[in-house]
Amino acid sequence: MYNRAFLFNGIGSKPEKLLVKLPSELMDKYEFYLDEAFGRLGLNKDLEKNKAYDGRVAEWIISLICDRVVFEYYISKGIIPDIGAGYSSGIVSISGCFGSVSHEFTHSIIMMNRATMRCLEEHDQRLDMGVVIGFSYSDIEEMFRDKFSSDEIIIGSGNSKFHVMVSGKADSVEKALTLCQNEGALKAFSFGTGVAYHHPIMKNYSQEYVDFCASTEYKDPDYPILSIFDREVMTKGEQILRENQLNVYTPIRWDLAIQKLEELGVTEFFDVSANGAVSKFSRVSRKCKIYTLEDV
Amino acid sequence: MREITEEIRQEIKDMIFDYYAEECEVEKDEITMDTNPQEDLGSDSLMFVELIEMTADKYDLDIKLQSIGKYMLKAPMETMSDVVEMFCKIYQYGNDIVNQ
Repeated sequence: MYNRAFLFNGIGSKPEKLLVKLPSELMDKYEFYLDEAFGRLGLNKDLEKNKAYDGRVAEWIISLICDRVVFEYYISKGIIPDIGAGYSSGIVSISGCFGSVSHEFTHSIIMMNRATMRCLEEHDQRLDMGVVIGFSYSDIEEMFRDKFSSDEIIIGSGNSKFHVMVSGKADSVEKALTLCQNEGALKAFSFGTGVAYHHPIMKNYSQEYVDFCASTEYKDPDYPILSIFDREVMTKGEQILRENQLNVYTPIRWDLAIQKLEELGVTEFFDVSANGAVSKFSRVSRKCKIYTLEDV
Repeated sequence: MREITEEIRQEIKDMIFDYYAEECEVEKDEITMDTNPQEDLGSDSLMFVELIEMTADKYDLDIKLQSIGKYMLKAPMETMSDVVEMFCKIYQYGNDIVNQ
């Protein structure tokens, strides 16, 4: 039933790394969407001129706009998804591209991260996230078992057999990354974002975000979306709303989501990120392939 | 330990140079043994993982990334010469690279 899946990336790619990969024929469209979104949201296109939180969300919105441009390009080439999945804030992106909510609303969801960051600052919560390359989910689980409590740090996402994202208290993230590096990680680095997405602690500080997600009606998506939390195929608007709400404070198993898509029959994966970021940290079995914008 | 010939050493070097040239979108002849893969070519760890997987497939090696990570703590890869040397050691010693 499902042969082709579209994969949407989360936040994290720097705008310059995304834009350099967008072919010139797509830049006009990108500029058009950017002008419209930044004008509406009161963001400055010169990112450094935005205030602290604005600067951060502005970068994330650029990422969403790039996704939209690439998604529309694939569709225009006759590459139609049978199903899709979104990694982390890729859920927000896929909600817009698959027609469950408007693109304008997805931008507003991203803007709501400012309220979460403000709330964390008010409560003097020092949180962070990091990535470890070279270890699997179970390797990290084993390594953290006797050294950290789940209040301190958790695995925010198992991405593939060699790529794991961790999330929690900033000092624990720092200690954990040093430990991983000493134990043979090829690379271990923190995001320094001040937030710990996918850690349950975020539930206490993201009420405004969660409430905002529910402030519009979600249509049934144009194509099914696989939940990265329970790996159910979602076809109803209310499921997409729930996925967006869970996203802030619930751990992900991206590796298992990819595996589930393969079990559902998917053999062709299309990375919707402009720079092919999803294809780099995801792994599929040999009978499958992840195509990127460059391939298309 | 697996024996390594000059031919294999050259083959590994060519494979690495071809890979970085393609991934980093530069001409192969722009890469020298003194090139810094991160700073000069803009390569990253995920590219490096792919290169390891490719090498393991090509030479039928069973290598743990952690063994390579621990080796890199002792011998950081600052130039292509370091990269080539490390992949030759992976070919020769597999997971025992950590003790080299």
